[in-house]
Amino acid sequence: MIKLENVCKSYFLGEEEVKAVDSVSLQIKEKEFIGIQGSSGSGKSTLMYLIGLLETPTSGKIILEGKDVSKLSDDDLSKIRNRKVGFVFQSFNLINRFTVFENVLLPTKYAKSGLDFDPVKSAEELLKRFGIYDRRNFFPNKISGGQQQRVSIARALIMKPKIILADEPTGNLDSKTGDEIINILEDLNKDLGVTVIIVTHESEIAKKTKRKIYIKDGRLAEKYL
Amino acid sequence: MKIQNGYIHLAKSALEDFRRNKVRTFLTSLGIMIGVLSVVLLISLGLGLKNYLKQQFESLGANLIIIFPGNISSSEEGGGLANFGAGFAGGANFDERDYESLKRSVEADYVVPLFMKSSVVESNGKRKLGYLMGSNEESFKILNLEILAGDFFLKGDVSARAKKAVLGYNLADALYEKPEDAIGKTIRVADQRFKVIGVYKKKGDREQDGAAVVPYRSTFGTLNPDKTFFTIYLGTINEDKVESIKIQAKEVLLKRYKADDFTVTEQSELLSTVNQIFNIVNGVLVAIGSISLIVGGIGIMNIMYATVTERTKEVGIRRAVGATQKDILKQFLTEAVMLSVFGGLLGLILSSLIVLGIRVFFPASINLFSVVITLVISSGIGIFFGVFPARRAAKLSPIEAIRYE
Repeated sequence: MIKLENVCKSYFLGEEEVKAVDSVSLQIKEKEFIGIQGSSGSGKSTLMYLIGLLETPTSGKIILEGKDVSKLSDDDLSKIRNRKVGFVFQSFNLINRFTVFENVLLPTKYAKSGLDFDPVKSAEELLKRFGIYDRRNFFPNKISGGQQQRVSIARALIMKPKIILADEPTGNLDSKTGDEIINILEDLNKDLGVTVIIVTHESEIAKKTKRKIYIKDGRLAEKYL
Repeated sequence: MKIQNGYIHLAKSALEDFRRNKVRTFLTSLGIMIGVLSVVLLISLGLGLKNYLKQQFESLGANLIIIFPGNISSSEEGGGLANFGAGFAGGANFDERDYESLKRSVEADYVVPLFMKSSVVESNGKRKLGYLMGSNEESFKILNLEILAGDFFLKGDVSARAKKAVLGYNLADALYEKPEDAIGKTIRVADQRFKVIGVYKKKGDREQDGAAVVPYRSTFGTLNPDKTFFTIYLGTINEDKVESIKIQAKEVLLKRYKADDFTVTEQSELLSTVNQIFNIVNGVLVAIGSISLIVGGIGIMNIMYATVTERTKEVGIRRAVGATQKDILKQFLTEAVMLSVFGGLLGLILSSLIVLGIRVFFPASINLFSVVITLVISSGIGIFFGVFPARRAAKLSPIEAIRYE
């Protein structure tokens, strides 16, 4: 589904060029459950943002469903992100001035070519599925971390994406709640056939994924050290 | 449906933010409010003043030629305007000799001298500030006055220096229980006493309605020691004669005065000169008012920059879920325009209330033009000053924005 060919991403820290991702080639197939593992500063988040089209590569190609997307305009990339990608972040990244329900609906506001489903109904179903329907009119800062992460998963799913990218999704949660979140992501992969990529530095979590990718100093490594 | 949904979302998001920051929203809008308030008020006062003057001139009969001291229409337009104020102060002092010679040599149907002075009028134990007008019997015709009670004075009263007066409606109304009660009473102006022989109907002109008209010769003495006139009106029934009468009048006056010492003009000419002056004055006032609009706009820009910084993370989140740069730009621009239009509407409401208040004294008015210009200007300011912060938000790197704490 997604192919990275020799992808590099570098940025400048003052005068010095830092290669966050260095010549990475990678293929991700549909319905995969992948863990990207690496220490902090290894470039794993940058790799995730490249896969999620939130970042464009300095060089190399990203091919999505057979189409080179590395040179697309901001409008087109935004449209693909809106339709095909769902993000889950470590710090949940919900908008605190909107209710839980409004947060889940947010991606539907940016659907440029109309929706083939009823957004309100879908949002309700997702909230029910994750057991937070009774919190729908709460503001994010009034609910627990585990509940916030469920809201953000519901938001990631509302547009029925093909791929979910989760950046340290358990990083701000206790281990029990963290496990619940990982289980939810696992179920999504199993039940809905969504490709799930979890970026983490915890090998315990990576263990649960079916395919493990290690990254070190911006390069793919054979094994996590 | 889709687009509407998008704009509702934008407006809702902005309103939500205003609700959370009520004080900030109000203070930011205040700048625009004051700007709009001053511009709208200045426009309505200007319009009011113009209407007032127009009314004043139109209350005089048609085909009227006005002669007054000083010069407002000397060779160049600019010079004419510049001399306007000085014109009233200096120049010729018309007297009975001018009146007589105009009467002899000009083909006008009416020749009316006018002496005017604001004076306290006393009667019936009351004192009222009004105007004393010294004129002749033809003045009633030329000023289009209609009798309410009693009679106007006659030609004989003028030559006999009769101590008779005809009162304006407001003056009579202020001094007596009913205006009609004035007939037969005596009024006192300075040390002079006049017997009221008539009251004329309301004209809607403050000066005329508050005046006591007396034979001009009766003012000679303590009231008008120099025996001069403020102006001389020439009236004609035949419109085609207006130009020739003007020429004749100039010829007569040039025998005695220099060309710069007097002006012979028509009502319409005078009106257009006055209009010109007011357009300039109004323009200057509006320009001054606009400065506060610009300051208000800068206030909005400032707050929008702060808002963008405050919501950097939100921008990142929105970009991650599919917002384009244009969507982000629209979001912040909508907010800036809403702030600005909100301020504009507040200013409009407040200035309408003020105008309603001053209407009691002065014919100020708010017209559709003010309303439209207010909305156009305030949204224009919102767009102009909102676009810079909004562009900054749109250009944020999504990754950096999302990581911003």
